[in-house]
Amino acid sequence: MTNIHIDVHHLTRVEGHGNIHVDIKNKKVEKCEWRVPEAPRFFESMVRGRHYSEVARVVSRICGICSIGHTLASVKATETALGIEITPQTKKLRRLLKHAENFDSHVLHVYFLVAPDLLGAPSVFPLVATHGEVVARALRLKRLGHEWGSMLGGRTTHPTTVLPGGFSKFPTIDELKALKEKMLAAVPDLLETVKTVQALAPKVPIFSNPTEYMALHSNDEYALYDGDIQTVMPDGKKETWKVSDYKKVTNEYVVPASTAKYSKNKMASYAVGALARLNNNFAQLHPEAKKIAELYGLKPLNSNPYMNSVAQIIEAAHSFHESLAIIDDLLKTGINDEELVKPARFGTGAGATEVPRGILFHEYSYDKDGICTDGNCIIPTNQNHANIQRDFDKLVPELLSANKTEKEMTLALEMLVRSYDPCISCSTHYLDITFIK
Amino acid sequence: MKYIIGIGTYAMFDDSIGIRVIENIVENNLEKGFLALDLSGNNLNLVSYLNSDTKKILIVDSADLGLPSGEFRFFTPEEVVSEKCLNGFSTHEGDVLKTLCLAREMGYPIPKVIFLGIQAFEMKNEFGLSDVLQNNLKNYVQAAINEIEKN
Repeated sequence: MTNIHIDVHHLTRVEGHGNIHVDIKNKKVEKCEWRVPEAPRFFESMVRGRHYSEVARVVSRICGICSIGHTLASVKATETALGIEITPQTKKLRRLLKHAENFDSHVLHVYFLVAPDLLGAPSVFPLVATHGEVVARALRLKRLGHEWGSMLGGRTTHPTTVLPGGFSKFPTIDELKALKEKMLAAVPDLLETVKTVQALAPKVPIFSNPTEYMALHSNDEYALYDGDIQTVMPDGKKETWKVSDYKKVTNEYVVPASTAKYSKNKMASYAVGALARLNNNFAQLHPEAKKIAELYGLKPLNSNPYMNSVAQIIEAAHSFHESLAIIDDLLKTGINDEELVKPARFGTGAGATEVPRGILFHEYSYDKDGICTDGNCIIPTNQNHANIQRDFDKLVPELLSANKTEKEMTLALEMLVRSYDPCISCSTHYLDITFIK
Repeated sequence: MKYIIGIGTYAMFDDSIGIRVIENIVENNLEKGFLALDLSGNNLNLVSYLNSDTKKILIVDSADLGLPSGEFRFFTPEEVVSEKCLNGFSTHEGDVLKTLCLAREMGYPIPKVIFLGIQAFEMKNEFGLSDVLQNNLKNYVQAAINEIEKN
């Protein structure tokens, strides 16, 4: 095997479009690129001229999967800019909503996008015949995630209840009780999921590429909704920054191979996402989630990017158990019909939240009338692009040395990209059909 | 319960027509006897509405029907085959027909499902809607409501 040409155009089972291009001639890697051909989407321009109450509704459209996260990051940034201090009840409800999104997205990614690789299937469809109960369980858990988020956000895609200063609609005690019952009924499915992933874990490729891992960090909890920026280096050293300093750690730049912006901090690249969060905040995982991590042998610092999918299941369990505790707390304290907290000033503010794929930053400026004059959004997938490329640069020569075939190399690279769960940009969902009647 | 469900993405021009129909219904308080839902690209969330008490689902989506741009047609899942070649199945690679197919195979109760397919003028990485679809938006909304009101 001397020449290899890999050209994966529009990689499947990732959210959006990314291409893999590898050229090997006479056992020499001539080209090895992760290309992201997305078009500019101009969201930052679209929010200019909008009232602060409208901005989150606009930017939630950045992503159909992480629209809860975009909404939360947006209202947090707006609240910082407007000097709004939210109530403890609002924070609890938002944390519960954030957990719903992470649970929902992680279930979708692991069951529908990653599992087919590990089970040797091209998609979830052939698994109906061979692993029907696994698919049925996946659909049940996906449904739970959707209903959990919809109850709090009005809907999971582009939530309507979350506004700067609070919520426009509150869940009732009966709705919270019903959600708790649904969640408790799903415990067997969650336990079976843990077993399924444990059974598939030996098929996760072994690869290590130490990098800088970035995530939110809070002294109060495993940070998803709120925290400071923290990175952990390969030697275990940690450093934190305020969210307002997010540009100092993201340092966006462009590369010829992609239209998406790349990011770097102290090293040539950094990683965000479930594995990055675990590497930063492992000690704060819910005890039940920690038990699962121990079962999988996953502990910090883990530098195998393929393990991000395994980390997602640990996080799904964390979100599940943390949410049960939040619901119990809300049932105990009751739900107050609180009014939105009004702005105390108008200025500039940044907000960050952890979305399924990693840390997400939003920043806005508002004039004296509350009209947006500037906006900036840095999404996690773009922050991971440089690290994916850096993984390619290490993995391809290793695969070559191991005499992997072109097909095996292609699969290894596709699986690597999929493990990052990239959400590149929205594609179309139109129906392309032929009438048969 | 009856549902009108919109599918699509705002970021891909005419692909957004399904969710713009839903947006229009909600903004004008036209939900009477049915719920209007925006599923965007999360086709898999359709399974949450496949219940024994679901009487009818109307799915509004952009479609390549071979019609002049802006025209629409109602059809059932049984009347069509998807021409999309899908290696995978994700929120960005799939269509709602595939979700229905998966749900049927998994034994979910499938109510009466009707599609309102709207012929797109242009799909591109851009926000907005073509003039022809924008000018016909109210017609699509009314057609969707008329259809969901039928038994």
